[in-house]
Amino acid sequence: MDNYITIYIDGKELKVNAGDNLLKTARLNGFNIPGLCYHHKLTPTGACRLCLVKVDGMRGLVASCTIAVQDGMKVTAFDAELEDTRRFLLDYLLSEQNDDYDFTYNDELRDLMFRYGLDNKENRFFKPIKPNPNFSIDDSSPVLSYDPSKCIKCFRCIKACDEVQGKNVLSFNERGMDSYIIAGLGVWGKSECDGCGECIQLCPTGAIVERPNRQTIKLNSIEKRVRTTCPYCGVGCQIELLVQDGKIMRSNGVEGVSPNDGRLCVKGRFGYEFVHSPERLTKPLIKRNGKFEESTWDEALTLVVNKFNELKQKYGSDSLAGYASAKCTNEDNYIFQRFVRTAFGTNNIDYCTRLCHASTVTAMLKSIGDGAGSNSIEDFETTDCLLVTGNNIVETHPITATYVKRGAAKGMKIIVIDPKWTPLVKYSTVWLQPKLGTDVALLNGMINVIIQNGLIKQAFIEKRVEGGMQAFEELMRIVQPYTPQKVEEITGVPAEKIELAAKIYGESATAMIATGMGMSQQVTGTHNVFSLLNMMLITGHIGKERCGIDPPRGQNNVQGATDVGCHPNMYPGYIPVTNADNRKKVAGVWGVPFENLSDKPGLTTVEIVKAAHDGKIKGLFIMGENPMISDPNLNHTEEGLKKLEFLVVQDIFHTETTALADVILPASAWAEKNGTFVNSDRRVLRVRKAVACPGDAREDWRIIHEIAARMGHPMPNYRDESEVFDELARVTPIMEGISHRRLEAQGIQWPCPDSEHPGTSTLYTETFNTPSGKAKLFPVEYAEQNEKVSDEYPFMLNSGRILYHYHTSTMSRKNKVLRDFANESYVLMNPVDAIKASLKNNSKVRVTSKRGDLITKLIISDEVLEGEVFMPWHFTEAQVNRLTRDELDPYSKIAPFKLSAVRVECVE
Amino acid sequence: MVKEVRIALRNSGKINPESIDEYINADGYQALRKALRSTPSGIYDEIIDSGLRGRGGAGFPTGTKEKTTALICADCEKYVVCNADEGEPGTFKDRVIMETDPHSLVEGMIIAGFSINASYGYIYIRGEYSLSISRVQKAIDQAREKKFLGENILGSGYSFDIEIRRGAGSYLCGEELTLLESLEGKRGYPRIKPPYPAERGLWGKPTLINNVETLANFAPIILNGAVWYRSIGTEKSPGTKIFTVSGDVNNPGYYETPTGLTLRELIFDFGGGIKNGRTFKAALLGGAAGTFASAQLLDVQMGYDKLKEHGLTLGSGAVIVMDETRDLVKSLETIMKFFKHESCGKCIPCRLGTAQIYQSICGFSEIPVQKREDFFKSILKQADLMAKTSLCPLGQSPILPLRSIWQNFSDELLTLK
Repeated sequence: MDNYITIYIDGKELKVNAGDNLLKTARLNGFNIPGLCYHHKLTPTGACRLCLVKVDGMRGLVASCTIAVQDGMKVTAFDAELEDTRRFLLDYLLSEQNDDYDFTYNDELRDLMFRYGLDNKENRFFKPIKPNPNFSIDDSSPVLSYDPSKCIKCFRCIKACDEVQGKNVLSFNERGMDSYIIAGLGVWGKSECDGCGECIQLCPTGAIVERPNRQTIKLNSIEKRVRTTCPYCGVGCQIELLVQDGKIMRSNGVEGVSPNDGRLCVKGRFGYEFVHSPERLTKPLIKRNGKFEESTWDEALTLVVNKFNELKQKYGSDSLAGYASAKCTNEDNYIFQRFVRTAFGTNNIDYCTRLCHASTVTAMLKSIGDGAGSNSIEDFETTDCLLVTGNNIVETHPITATYVKRGAAKGMKIIVIDPKWTPLVKYSTVWLQPKLGTDVALLNGMINVIIQNGLIKQAFIEKRVEGGMQAFEELMRIVQPYTPQKVEEITGVPAEKIELAAKIYGESATAMIATGMGMSQQVTGTHNVFSLLNMMLITGHIGKERCGIDPPRGQNNVQGATDVGCHPNMYPGYIPVTNADNRKKVAGVWGVPFENLSDKPGLTTVEIVKAAHDGKIKGLFIMGENPMISDPNLNHTEEGLKKLEFLVVQDIFHTETTALADVILPASAWAEKNGTFVNSDRRVLRVRKAVACPGDAREDWRIIHEIAARMGHPMPNYRDESEVFDELARVTPIMEGISHRRLEAQGIQWPCPDSEHPGTSTLYTETFNTPSGKAKLFPVEYAEQNEKVSDEYPFMLNSGRILYHYHTSTMSRKNKVLRDFANESYVLMNPVDAIKASLKNNSKVRVTSKRGDLITKLIISDEVLEGEVFMPWHFTEAQVNRLTRDELDPYSKIAPFKLSAVRVECVE
Repeated sequence: MVKEVRIALRNSGKINPESIDEYINADGYQALRKALRSTPSGIYDEIIDSGLRGRGGAGFPTGTKEKTTALICADCEKYVVCNADEGEPGTFKDRVIMETDPHSLVEGMIIAGFSINASYGYIYIRGEYSLSISRVQKAIDQAREKKFLGENILGSGYSFDIEIRRGAGSYLCGEELTLLESLEGKRGYPRIKPPYPAERGLWGKPTLINNVETLANFAPIILNGAVWYRSIGTEKSPGTKIFTVSGDVNNPGYYETPTGLTLRELIFDFGGGIKNGRTFKAALLGGAAGTFASAQLLDVQMGYDKLKEHGLTLGSGAVIVMDETRDLVKSLETIMKFFKHESCGKCIPCRLGTAQIYQSICGFSEIPVQKREDFFKSILKQADLMAKTSLCPLGQSPILPLRSIWQNFSDELLTLK
């Protein structure tokens, strides 16, 4: 391997990677050179000088963190002079330090203090130096405390914020001895700091420490450290939970593994408190006379089983349905869909993905063959061009965004398409701000510009697109009328910006697309994504590294739940329910008669509610979902759920949905279970149990397993979750080669067809996963939305998410830190509209649509266009989905959460 | 008696500094015309042959730096940066050049740009130098008007322009790599060296950084040739040097003389001797980052190498003269306070070292006489370790005044009450 070179450290010959950092290399080879300012994720700083070494041929002492290894390099890492010098420097450093220690943080300085015998103050030569009298502890942030008396000024926090997270919030104030860290222009609590805590993780001393559990945590009393996967968005960050007295005390990012390399966001680092909330459900509850009463498991399960059996007998299998959960593990969801398909005997199984990326998945399946992201998260940093459309990636996928921001710092071009300002706009090359619901016109316009400028890749089209140039010509014919000027009229985006964006995307050597809810949650959701795919295919921006399309998934296991079969039309591994061969195979594995497995496609979420309304669905089992916040047109949903004869909700908290249940089953939170999640880049990641379930609560799959058995459809006696996964792998070809054992060290990206296969980082490098092996163009026309503004409802309401909360906020709002950052609903309105309507900032307003109304707070903001308003939908006090519609995209059955005509009025 | 020989200050006081025509009449921009007819290598070879050494303080051979920067890449973007952040205490030579003959700087800079094929130049001027800033700006504007700057200079095909940036009061920003950080709009922290600016300088591009006085020598050298330049001053550091003499002398001021004159000549001939009829005690050469010379050293030649033989430095050319009444420990205290104040705090040895040494020096007179030698030696050891371990020249500087004061004034330090 010519990448290897030989160096000598203290006379020892070493084969090392050419160009690697000398300090890192030395440490990897067992030379524990001290150093406080170096961190492998950061550029070298050379500030602490403790890593000084001697290098033959170089003058004086050299900071080993600042140089790269070179062939033949001879290094002295340890001799009396170097060690004396290091002790001298440490002695210096300690003379300005407050070296109190309370066992609540890792202290690298303290370790060195002991190593060099300077813990004994008599061994210190230098007298303490009086610190800056202006030093004071900054406790203004909900997540951290900064103590300048313990700050060694190593720059690690500043670089963590800049280089790792791309936020650039921290810097020094004052100079020399007097310097200390400030956030923004002053204290943390008043800065742009969003609480991700990267600076805490990288601080080598007790200068920046976590506030939560500060009074109780003792690192010398930690009983276990459990590596698992974050329970929030679909990035799948690897975290380490510190458990003390049976409780989670802290969550750290795991360095050196994908997808996050130690990075976390505020939810991942501080969002674990809900697990130990006193509001957790700890006993099965049965509703009697309108009130929930505690019961035993036996009593509750007997009732559940009798009721479902009775309904099945009376109305047939298709009168029952199940909602699986994007928050549960693959193992939970696999068992759940097996239960619905065998014990209920129906394909009426779906979950919130229907309301999320269903249209994206539908379009992608038809066009390119898989409904999952085509790339690895790392590509978000290395691609030349990233187009982000309808995706507030900085807030909803904060760690994916760190890759994007790092790419931007190195010159990546970023195109943002969003009707509302998002933080990514700050990093973007161009921002297109189309009016709500005009995406197809905009994208057709961009395709038109690409064609007009000769930026199509003919060879790619001929080789990899069904119908080749003939198919392309059909697309060309459709998009011809979408001139930039015409598109400007429809979308409001200036023609020159459309041209600029199209050229950037078309001309880039590599380009990726991130598409989000803004595209998918529309009546035209599938069409939106088709036009995006059309643009991608004619430019050949797919099928290689750093090129492709990725829908960042909103929830921890929204990808996995579909992968393992929680889909009304598909069995595990995206095999249609109508595929008899597969059903035969699965029947064999499950040990059930083939005829018992229905080949009739089931109902989707909103269809299930409608069927309940119509009296066709009588019994519903909801596992870990909260449709009473997340479904569209909630008033209608509520009526539907109330019409059910029997509703079982299995959850960890009371929710807006459990209120309507007949039986509530207490289940386990993510930290209480073993299993796997699949993240947005198809990476199957281990989830590991850190703490016990509270009270009588049980693991989700075990509850379902017992109900199935009691209903007369027993499943094997799995010893543990790894055995569930082994069965799952047998019926899920894309995961056939994966097992829990293989996931110990790190995740594997599906498809992974056999146990030797390393997994697949980039899809479609050879063929597309369609029957023909080629991709398909689906030319689409722009169509006006049915929902229109009127005098009565003059604003278009857009809805979305914020960094600090998650989905229906059942989990996130049970964390003090997250509540401290954001705990209130609001509606954003453009200043021009607010002035016209004489509405004041921070005033109380009523927002009304044809479906319902709510009360919230008005915030005047130019983040939204005139005529449009925006609300986050997390807050139960102002349920945005009381306003939304249940008109569906005909292909994917997704609902149009992003477009509702409303009026906004002042409330006295 | 030695006379002044003015090269960098050739027009100082003779022409109206705000008139390019007067500069042109005094052979101004003739060197540029000559340079443009030559080749880049022709220029830097001439500078190498002249033996010109950096006048900012470090004394690095100027032509060598130029050649390295010229050859590092053929067609890449490069910059010339002029360090006019004159912050060394007691130094005001660059200010005189900029205020009295700004075109000599501008012309020198264009020639330097041509020699390395740079596309753009920045002059980083100390923020307090308002008059320098306005005069240099005027000179740039006039030069541009006359086509000495801008696109296709004098029809040569070479294009170059210059912009002024103001410093904001940090001593450290006079350190070349820190200056580059500041030029890029960042906070003035020193960079890790290597890479040197010739390799990766401003905005990561190869950059030639020169002091004002150095650049002011370019035009005369190109016009009159290396042989002429070498005929002035000493063999090892040819040419002239501007000295700025201040303190307890009768005639403080700036004097450009051939290198090789003695300290005695400088103080007594040019400086007019010690004020108020007192006697000479010490001279601080080169500012805070300089060295203390005693009366025994008055006859040492003022050249880089000769001074070095006696543990002294030429530095920026500042000569701060102290008479018999001056308290040297107090001076040391002032110097150490200055370093502590200016230390950026990035590296441990400088941040803590400047503070610890200052603290020690403040307590020096309270140390019993018999313990003073050990005490001072421990300070010297500290300063020596600081110099070995610090990230940038600031932390490497305190050893200079400390060691020289110990060498030349230990008797006084050991007996002082």
